[in-house]
Amino acid sequence: MNPYHLAGRESTWQKHIKDIPVDNYFLTLSCILGSFYPASETMVPKVFDLLGLRWATTHTSHNGWSCCTAIGYHGDIMPIEATLLTVARLWALAQEAGMEVITPTCVTSFGTYCECQELLEQEPELRGRIARLLKDTCGRKLVIPRRLAHVSDVYYQHRERLAGHFQYRLIEAATGRPLRVVDHIGCHYAKLFPQRHAVGGSEYCDVLAGMVRTWGGENVDYPERRHCCGMGFRQCMIPPNRGATMASVHKKLKSMAPFKPDLIVTNCPGCQVFMDKEQWAVHEMTGEKYFIPVITYQELAGILLGWDPYEVVGIDFHTVPVEPLLDKIGIPYDREKSWHREP
Amino acid sequence: MSQAAAEKHTVMVVGGGVTGLGIALALDGLGIETLILEKGPSLGGKVKDYDKIFPDFVSGRDIVNELIARVERVPRISCRTGTVMAGLKETDTGYAVSTNDHQRLEVGAIVLASGFEVFDARLQEEYGYGIYPNVINGPELESYLDPHGPTGGRLLRPFDGKPARRVAIIFCVGSRSKRLGNPYCSRICCSYSTKQAIEIMERDPGAGVTCFYMDIRTYGRGFEEMYQYAQNLGVKYIRGRVSECSVLPEGDIQVRAENTLLGKPVQGVFDLVSLSVGMMPCADAACLADLLGIERGKDGFFSGVDQYRAPHDTRREGIFLAGSVTGLKPIHDCLNEALSVAGRVAAYLNNHAG
Amino acid sequence: MRQTEHMSIEYDTQSFLDLITRRNPDDAAWRDLRRRLDAMSDAELTDLYYRLRDACQVSEQGLVYPNIQNLHATPFEREKDRREQRPLVEQDSLSEVACWYREARDKSCVWWLENHVIARHALSSCMNCGACTALCPAAEFNEFNPRAIMSLVQEKDETSIVELLKSDTIWFCHQCGSCKTKCPRQNSPFGMISSLRQLSQLKGYHVQSIRGRQQYFARHFWGGNLWNRACTLYFRNPDPERHKDFGPRFAAYFRAKEEYLRRIGAQPDMEGHLSGRKVAPETLEELRKLWTAGGAVYFWSLIEEAAARQAAQAGMTIDEYHNHVMSEG
Repeated sequence: MNPYHLAGRESTWQKHIKDIPVDNYFLTLSCILGSFYPASETMVPKVFDLLGLRWATTHTSHNGWSCCTAIGYHGDIMPIEATLLTVARLWALAQEAGMEVITPTCVTSFGTYCECQELLEQEPELRGRIARLLKDTCGRKLVIPRRLAHVSDVYYQHRERLAGHFQYRLIEAATGRPLRVVDHIGCHYAKLFPQRHAVGGSEYCDVLAGMVRTWGGENVDYPERRHCCGMGFRQCMIPPNRGATMASVHKKLKSMAPFKPDLIVTNCPGCQVFMDKEQWAVHEMTGEKYFIPVITYQELAGILLGWDPYEVVGIDFHTVPVEPLLDKIGIPYDREKSWHREP
Repeated sequence: MSQAAAEKHTVMVVGGGVTGLGIALALDGLGIETLILEKGPSLGGKVKDYDKIFPDFVSGRDIVNELIARVERVPRISCRTGTVMAGLKETDTGYAVSTNDHQRLEVGAIVLASGFEVFDARLQEEYGYGIYPNVINGPELESYLDPHGPTGGRLLRPFDGKPARRVAIIFCVGSRSKRLGNPYCSRICCSYSTKQAIEIMERDPGAGVTCFYMDIRTYGRGFEEMYQYAQNLGVKYIRGRVSECSVLPEGDIQVRAENTLLGKPVQGVFDLVSLSVGMMPCADAACLADLLGIERGKDGFFSGVDQYRAPHDTRREGIFLAGSVTGLKPIHDCLNEALSVAGRVAAYLNNHAG
Repeated sequence: MRQTEHMSIEYDTQSFLDLITRRNPDDAAWRDLRRRLDAMSDAELTDLYYRLRDACQVSEQGLVYPNIQNLHATPFEREKDRREQRPLVEQDSLSEVACWYREARDKSCVWWLENHVIARHALSSCMNCGACTALCPAAEFNEFNPRAIMSLVQEKDETSIVELLKSDTIWFCHQCGSCKTKCPRQNSPFGMISSLRQLSQLKGYHVQSIRGRQQYFARHFWGGNLWNRACTLYFRNPDPERHKDFGPRFAAYFRAKEEYLRRIGAQPDMEGHLSGRKVAPETLEELRKLWTAGGAVYFWSLIEEAAARQAAQAGMTIDEYHNHVMSEG
């Protein structure tokens, strides 16, 4: 018996329907994802093309995309004006490419775009200064986007069409049981501007849950579901501070284990890294073996599409092996393609 | 075809709750005839559901039943239940009112005593009301404690029907929150929740009740003493606003707050969590304000022209306010307002007679 | 083509290239490196860096840049950044944003709280309810309490704010924003803490605490990635030696990362627009102008100054100081 009412949960997220543009996406990438799970980015254009969506990014010498500088901003080496200018330039690139909406693969970029949008809307003087500096410095025009979307919003928007291309569903092959899925949204997606920008709001955010539902799985609620992964910018990246990150992940794992999840699906690159990689550290330090596969929504779509788990989805980037999950769903894979040779 | 003649009344009281009943009886004492218009199927309002009220644990139900019995005996008071105003026109002698059931009424004065609604706890999404079965709201806890209620007065977990012995009461739900658009204090929640905590502990001394509060506002006569009594019984008070409730596999609820007096985050696990919901203006406040052409404050409650010198007067002559329509009040204060508005209405009618 | 012109005559020895591309030289090598870097003029040093960076080879997958991987996070790159950025923050060439921050340095902390845009948006009034601290991941495991910080800031007492800025406290925050969602007064404690951290560095107070002075590492780690690669994290950064917690499977990936990045279609240090790509020099140049105009370069120079002062007091070279602050605590 579920200790919660599904209908109540549904009616809660349904109060926050996000107006997601259906086409014309300008893709920007994530520093963290590119470093740890690059296939989650290289699969995005493949999915956009599969769905026949109009999208662009830039790679010409003068118009290249940059990182949004948000790690620098939250890591306290970037004054807000520098971040605003960087973001304003990215928005300008999207406009110049004729795309309506900028879609980052990174939740922190998304949160920063939302914050910049709000600041520029609410502070006319700052808006004037940023517009002038952007024009004087690089000849570009400040256009504050009306709508903002994360790549997961795009997947969410098209989740049913995407499912039409799937070869597999989130069902255990042997039993026909829906897989139990923990969704981890990422604080900077659902907690900063939940009213305006998060599908389903903050508490029962639907951006991943909706994909899981549509793709055959069952969403798992657990006490620490909304707790931060502990990434913490300066906490995870400055070596002596790492303990706090590990402790946060441990807390979440302990809390979800009694609900027996088959997998964790993530929205945010930083969360993906630590929910996955710190399971090793937790094991080393406590002897507890969680080893719950953690995959991004892009990877989830990738394996259900039947794309090669090693060559396309890149499951070897993971610390917790993903193969047991593939076995559950009944997805074949060729172990010869893995570079890991288990002892 | 001729229309039926309008029914004439000296005063119309909108709302048949404890305030409305009090007004009609007070006016009767002054020799003034009254019609009570009640939108619900019966008189008595919210207080008829309260088995015990603070600070003295008398029966709210008894108070209301006694008021209703008196109203029914008095020839100068008539009642229409299931009736709401649909239209209003000024006349030489007051107002012509049309109703939802196509009646036409002519009245000399109107008193608005339509009360309040409790906050819909589903809007404070992080507490999981409507999602986690063992999270209930204050009025539901009241009914669980009521011997005439659905559980016969036994405190049970809705999830599995087992007795609830570890209980958390979360104060200020839907109150004092700019984020939810209700920045005001609802005034009575600290006290009604403390009353409920006492009832739980008195019936089951082995129970554990923890109240999460921001500030204890037991401001009325006898309220603070009730708070002390609750502490003496072992009710725990933790100063901290609850950040979220979440559910454990067996339906237990985990509550997360900071104990701000110790400066430490705390987590507790409970059988049952009751949300001390605050109060909102009555659901049809916006309609009533339009219909009557009177003003409301930023908080949505009605505003008199001068809360010091003319607390019951609206900017429209002959329309008056009383009870919780101007902000939350304990039952005792509502009945006081009934007396004072009756005096004001009598003076008005006296000055405007024929 | 660019592929052969990188070896300038006077530095064209393998031993020197080995030295400048080493990330953790031993003590003797440190001193040797420092001496030789100091002996180079700004122009020589930056010129060498860019010729190394842009030296490329034609491979089956397109152009590859074999030196890029050796330059990142080296003392050489840090020295290049210092020298390159120095002229950008000279008194009369400061951008208007940088001028605002320079003036803010000399004003009180209370002035900052009333004028810095992030601080202004972060706090209207706080009733000390603790909803922020209840689910703060940092409060859970550290001596850290966002409510207490908001409360202290609200009092606007200059002395206590200065004390706070000199302490480790503000540096524990994860910047996750969990506090912002829950605040019934719609404050943003994490925004306030972000603003306080900026102020602490503006005033140079951050070097007084262990966690504060880690910012010198951050300035070169994230700042160096931004300045040179237009991303705050570079795929070569998470060396398994320093990330043992990521486990042996990660170490295996890291060893073979170029191959695997290419297999899944990413572009490690190659031209393109996908993960790991080498950013075009023209794009980088535009971004550097923006970061100069936006005050970031001035801000980095302040972190640099404070570090140099403290390193000198402690009798350390700046390289030793850098490695000290990234491992201390």
